[in-house]
Amino acid sequence: MEEINVLLLFDVVLGLTLVWLAWQTLSSLDLFRAIVLFIAFGLLMALAWVRLDAPDVALAEATIGAGLTGALLLSALAQLSASQKNETKPSLFIRLTLGVLLFFLVIALAYTVLSLPTKAVGLSVEVAKNIELSGVSNPVTAVLLNYRSYDTLLELGVLLLALLGVWSLGGVSTNKSSFPKSSFVNPVLDLVTRLLVPIFILFSGYLLWVGAFAPGGAFQAGAVLAAAGVLVFLSDWYLPSKYSGFALRLVLVIGLVWFVSMGFSFVLLDNAFLEYPPEFAGGLILLIEAAATLSIGISLAALFLGREPATKSDSNIDIDTGVNK
Amino acid sequence: MTPAFLYALVGIVLFSIGLYGLILYKHLLRKILAINILGSGVFLVMVALADRIGDAVPDAVPHAMVITGIVVAVSATALALALMLRVNEETGQAVLPEDREA
Amino acid sequence: MLIDSPHWIIIIILLPILGSVVCFLWREHIVKLALATAVGTVTSVGVLSWQVITNGVQRYELGAWSAPLGIELYLDGLSLLMLLVTAIVGFAISIYASAYFKDDKTNIFWPLWLFLWSALNALFVSSDIFNLFVTLEIIGLSAVALVALSGGANAITAAMRYLLVSLLGSMLYLMGVALLYHSYGTVDMVLLSLRTEMTPTMWLIMGLMTTGLLLKTALFPLHFWLPPAHSSAPVPVSAVLSALVVKASFYILWRLWIVVFPLADHAQANLGFILGLLGSLAIVWGGFQALRQTRLKLLIAYSTVMQIGYLFLAFPLANVMGWKATLYFILAHAVAKTAMFMAAGNILIHRGHDRIADFYSMAQYLPLTISAFALSGISLMGLPPSGGFIAKWLLLEASIVSGQWWWGLVLIVGGLLTGAYVFKVLGYAFIQEDSSNEPYPIGISKRMEWMALGMALLAIVLGFIAPFILRIMDIGSPFAEVLS
Repeated sequence: MEEINVLLLFDVVLGLTLVWLAWQTLSSLDLFRAIVLFIAFGLLMALAWVRLDAPDVALAEATIGAGLTGALLLSALAQLSASQKNETKPSLFIRLTLGVLLFFLVIALAYTVLSLPTKAVGLSVEVAKNIELSGVSNPVTAVLLNYRSYDTLLELGVLLLALLGVWSLGGVSTNKSSFPKSSFVNPVLDLVTRLLVPIFILFSGYLLWVGAFAPGGAFQAGAVLAAAGVLVFLSDWYLPSKYSGFALRLVLVIGLVWFVSMGFSFVLLDNAFLEYPPEFAGGLILLIEAAATLSIGISLAALFLGREPATKSDSNIDIDTGVNK
Repeated sequence: MTPAFLYALVGIVLFSIGLYGLILYKHLLRKILAINILGSGVFLVMVALADRIGDAVPDAVPHAMVITGIVVAVSATALALALMLRVNEETGQAVLPEDREA
Repeated sequence: MLIDSPHWIIIIILLPILGSVVCFLWREHIVKLALATAVGTVTSVGVLSWQVITNGVQRYELGAWSAPLGIELYLDGLSLLMLLVTAIVGFAISIYASAYFKDDKTNIFWPLWLFLWSALNALFVSSDIFNLFVTLEIIGLSAVALVALSGGANAITAAMRYLLVSLLGSMLYLMGVALLYHSYGTVDMVLLSLRTEMTPTMWLIMGLMTTGLLLKTALFPLHFWLPPAHSSAPVPVSAVLSALVVKASFYILWRLWIVVFPLADHAQANLGFILGLLGSLAIVWGGFQALRQTRLKLLIAYSTVMQIGYLFLAFPLANVMGWKATLYFILAHAVAKTAMFMAAGNILIHRGHDRIADFYSMAQYLPLTISAFALSGISLMGLPPSGGFIAKWLLLEASIVSGQWWWGLVLIVGGLLTGAYVFKVLGYAFIQEDSSNEPYPIGISKRMEWMALGMALLAIVLGFIAPFILRIMDIGSPFAEVLS
């Protein structure tokens, strides 16, 4: 009994902290502070997921939601001019009215949620019933890569589209001076990168492998790979230009293309698209996840970098050495 | 009250805070943060209510949906940030024209 | 036999995705690859249409997992017509765009556009409300990136606003999905239709999802983001947005309304009245705003705000004829608005600006384009013979049959307002300028003029093939009480 009360207390404190952090994030005058609070918010969300028995989601939140999103936000902030970061408060009347309206919304939603039955199984029974046919034993992976793999396939598309959009907005990297080939590299960062990147890559592979039977999977593995990518970019390393054209684009799409091909592989034998015969399902899922991990990792890292890397034909400056041709 | 309902309520409050921030604050970075908080609120409701299962293994379908949602959110955030930087470049401020000061 | 294969329904989704990837990879031949994909997609939709017209409704279980565990696709007459209009408009836009975009914008346009097309197809055949969320996100992100393609402060700020609005709409919708799932244990529309009940919770869910989708559909008063976005986007993108993208979120709302929301008659009447009222306000407001515009693309964008209002007039009527009218409006508007935007694009390139007051002699220089504008205007006004006329006629009948004749009045007012702004533009275009200015070079390729005219003619043809279209609408009885 006492143990349950302690956990409940923990949950209440965590819940209140989350709300407080969210409020502080938005009302912070200083944007840097806001982003840092947001990252903290993300990490505490990961804790909340753990408390809700959702370790896969916790991993995704910590790596993608807090980590990569935080990196993106900080990188963007750095490129904003310093002058206009403060906010003038809208009139009290507007704030009050909106606050009251939203208060009623909260009450209505709370009523809705609390009127739901206290016990419900949702689709967990269905998921468990078919798990042996799915080829994996982690139910979340089964849903993502088998039962509802169509959504995951489309989701890989979302990532690619976002990258396309970001590239179209950022211009090509050698035009801006923000990525110079500097002669000085922070030695601590350099050392940390050299140590961590191989570990991250290894860990990414582990998450990919373990996702079949324990929390983990392609998205989490891809995010860790992207983290390695972010570290590497921060140390002023860039992809040699001969790889930053077709080869890069190929790696970016390989996850999606592989997914579609695997999904089609049994169609000729009168199966549905994305139908995997149970004896091959486990292997197929692992292969798909491997390709997806690569694409997801490179995509997320590329999103952080922001600009489409220039290829040899694009500029007059030799990208690898910075010398004007 | 079980953790499920508690976190669902937290999710609802986060949803509202995000909505408040999105409508009220002018700076685009704040709006982007607000959307993320709004999204986290929805995800929390989705996963929390899946935990109403007592000691058994929770329902994996909402978990999968939220993982999908998190990836969608980071993609959208990246695009939004890139747009914000372009807005800043084109207009000198990271706010929408209707929100500009004089 | 290949033609009888049940897999065409996913080919229409996968082919544009693969086309998009191929265009992303091989940039040297991008236009040819893209056009090949367009042809392939249209052909696939054609085969699929033949299958549905001969054999009726189709269902497809992805991964061979049936709902509620898996995702199912469902294709009836309503979905099929949406697919067809997307295919035809998509094809025309692809041809137009192949002449419109130059240099590095082509590398960005084609992968984004083909993916958008794929997501539209995926949306119209999906029977799963979470899957619909994912397709909405693809559509939203690609549309935003396409709007921003114009560059410049107007397009960029319009795209930013559009993205924020789109994300808000998606999140409201997703909250509804979460509540529906946890209330009824499924995200499949057919299963939900069997399980949903009219509880206070259901009201809140309906409110959330409707608001989110109305934001994306730009119904008054949530339309504020549309005119800047649709007017500052590149012309082929404006056409896609007005013709197809806003209809996608409308389609979802419509399906939810007919299939999932368990609306008892009085609830239907009350909520329907609110939607009809907003639609009427959209028509009047959009019409007046369109009339006030001095720039053509903005005028056409406000015309879209107005025409979206028409789509909601059938909600208070709740009869099958009203729904058929709505679908006919969608078809006619998609085609006519595409033609109109293409015409505007031609004018913009030829003249260098789109100030209506300076359109003198336009009819002389661009006869095909002005004809296209006039013909599409006829459809938008609802004059016979045109698709718009059929739609208006059906709606008038539906409103009289249900005893709510006042919606018909709104239609007539709308027609008058549309007439006013269409003739305003045409009036300026036919002014003969006597000054000795040098003749403008035409400057636009033939295919751009012909695509505009082709689409406009199609809007007129829709007026003649009504029986055929109406028969397709009946496949699967989408407007009956329960999906078969």
